[in-house]
Amino acid sequence: MANMIWMEGITQTFHLEGMDLPVLKQIDLSIEDGEYVAIMGASGSGKSTLMNIIGCLDRPTSGLYILDGRDLTTLDDDELADIRNQYIGFVFQQFNLLPRLSALENVMLPMIYAAVPRAARLSAAAESLTKVGLSDRLKSRPSQLSGGQQQRVAIARALVNHPALVLADEPTGALDSKTSHEIMDLLTALNQQGTTIAIVTHDATVAAQTKRVIHMQDGVILEVEK
Amino acid sequence: MLGVVIGISSVIMITAVGQGVQKSTASEISALGTNVMVVSAGAARTGGISLGAGSASTLTWEDAQAIAKQVPAAKSVTAFLQRGQIQVVRGNINIATTLLGTDLNYKSIKSLQPQEGLFFSQADLDAGRPVAFIGSKVRDELFSTGQSALGADIRIRGKRYTVVGVAESKGLSAGQDLDDAIYIPLTNMSSQIVGNNALTGVAINGFWVEAADAEQLNSAQFQVTNILRLRHGIKASGIDDFRITNFVDIMSAFNSVMGSLTLMVGAIAGISLIVGGIGIANIMLVSVMERTREIGIRKAVGATSGSILSQFLTEAIIISVVGGAIGVGLGIALAYVAALLFKFPFVIPLWSIGAGFGLSLVVGVLAGGIPARNAAKLNPISALRSD
Repeated sequence: MANMIWMEGITQTFHLEGMDLPVLKQIDLSIEDGEYVAIMGASGSGKSTLMNIIGCLDRPTSGLYILDGRDLTTLDDDELADIRNQYIGFVFQQFNLLPRLSALENVMLPMIYAAVPRAARLSAAAESLTKVGLSDRLKSRPSQLSGGQQQRVAIARALVNHPALVLADEPTGALDSKTSHEIMDLLTALNQQGTTIAIVTHDATVAAQTKRVIHMQDGVILEVEK
Repeated sequence: MLGVVIGISSVIMITAVGQGVQKSTASEISALGTNVMVVSAGAARTGGISLGAGSASTLTWEDAQAIAKQVPAAKSVTAFLQRGQIQVVRGNINIATTLLGTDLNYKSIKSLQPQEGLFFSQADLDAGRPVAFIGSKVRDELFSTGQSALGADIRIRGKRYTVVGVAESKGLSAGQDLDDAIYIPLTNMSSQIVGNNALTGVAINGFWVEAADAEQLNSAQFQVTNILRLRHGIKASGIDDFRITNFVDIMSAFNSVMGSLTLMVGAIAGISLIVGGIGIANIMLVSVMERTREIGIRKAVGATSGSILSQFLTEAIIISVVGGAIGVGLGIALAYVAALLFKFPFVIPLWSIGAGFGLSLVVGVLAGGIPARNAAKLNPISALRSD
């Protein structure tokens, strides 16, 4: 299988009050197309920083990052925005929906930046929401939805541009255990349909549902278990 | 949006009120004329409390006629006897207005032009006939539009009067609404309406003296004082039982007031512009700050800095334009209401609309655009983490 993610010697160093704070130290990582991966680690282990780099939300201090065959190291901000738009779907712990928009409008958001015509946006967003089981809540605002439903909207949004990779940062962190199960089942089902999924979590039951777990500690990858 | 509306409408309203008051003061002053003065009957005093000019019957029509004859500097003299809140009835319409008994010179001194019919005649005055020359406001209240008032009968204090003419609208003069008044012969007013005459003749509230020019007015004032003191038998040590108000003095005082008024209106307009601008800037800034997280979310799903900036600029322009338009409309409406309520001319200076609207747009775009530009440049992660 082809590599979805290829990372070599990725480092990330933050500068705090004149001090260099290495957060990621020489990370080598590859994730194949269609994989279902968990990145685990305690807080401060660098897992979120790694995820931000994978998701092109942040740039590494040094190292090589190839996503789906494209070298991202040389891209400028606008090109990275395009990569996020076309290749990556995000699912956040706090859902990160726009409160003033309906579920449908929230899901349409990535397509606006992909310059999809309005009629196509509407039908694709409705289809995506149907896929996560929310076909009856298209017009609801996030405040009218439960946490689980909001996370489903976020997943529908992540999927709507048919990304090569879905990145989930503690997707069940703000949910009760029953809803967590539903969300994990949904992600598992998506993976079975072929979407590459990487989940950042500190929850072992979440990690157990994935096919590969990458353990991190103090900015390095400790072990990889299958 | 509310801040923009309030900012702009206050700029427009305040400048409109300022200009209106300025204009009405100016027209009132020039309406007074520089060549007239009013002689009012002395203030009656009860236990040291002045009851106001004209409250005692110390002046008579004979006094006024004597002045007209004996003072060469007086070009024209007109006596008046007036009562406010007089009940006037026509059919089932019942109003209260000012009733003013006077002579023929009143028409020329106050330049009351008939828009219909005529002022009452010398014969009416001599015979004390019940005829009325009515102000335009009184006409509007008593008669419907298109209906002629001429020859109609109205009842003043229950007595029948025939309308002989309607005055053209004049507005305020010396604080008195000339349109909201009925003018009848002084002789009739004295015998039929007031009825308490002085021993020496027909009691009046006062009379106006018109001189050829401002220069002549000073000598007229001197002569009038002397003649009245003589006629009233006031000794050298006694105080006048009448009061002369010379509008030349008031004029020069008003002129300096006008200067400060102009300055004040300008200052108020400037301050309201600044306050309005700060209000708009504040709202725009707060809106961008509050929405940094939104910017982060939009960037995470693929928005470029450029599309974020153009979104926020578009919103700022829409808010500024719509808010500005509502503000201009509201400001004009408020100014209009204020003008009606406080009876000053309704003027909207064009520059205030331009300044208000321009301010809204410039401040809106700067205060909305600059922070949006900074927020758009943020790394998406920092924007997402802001709360």
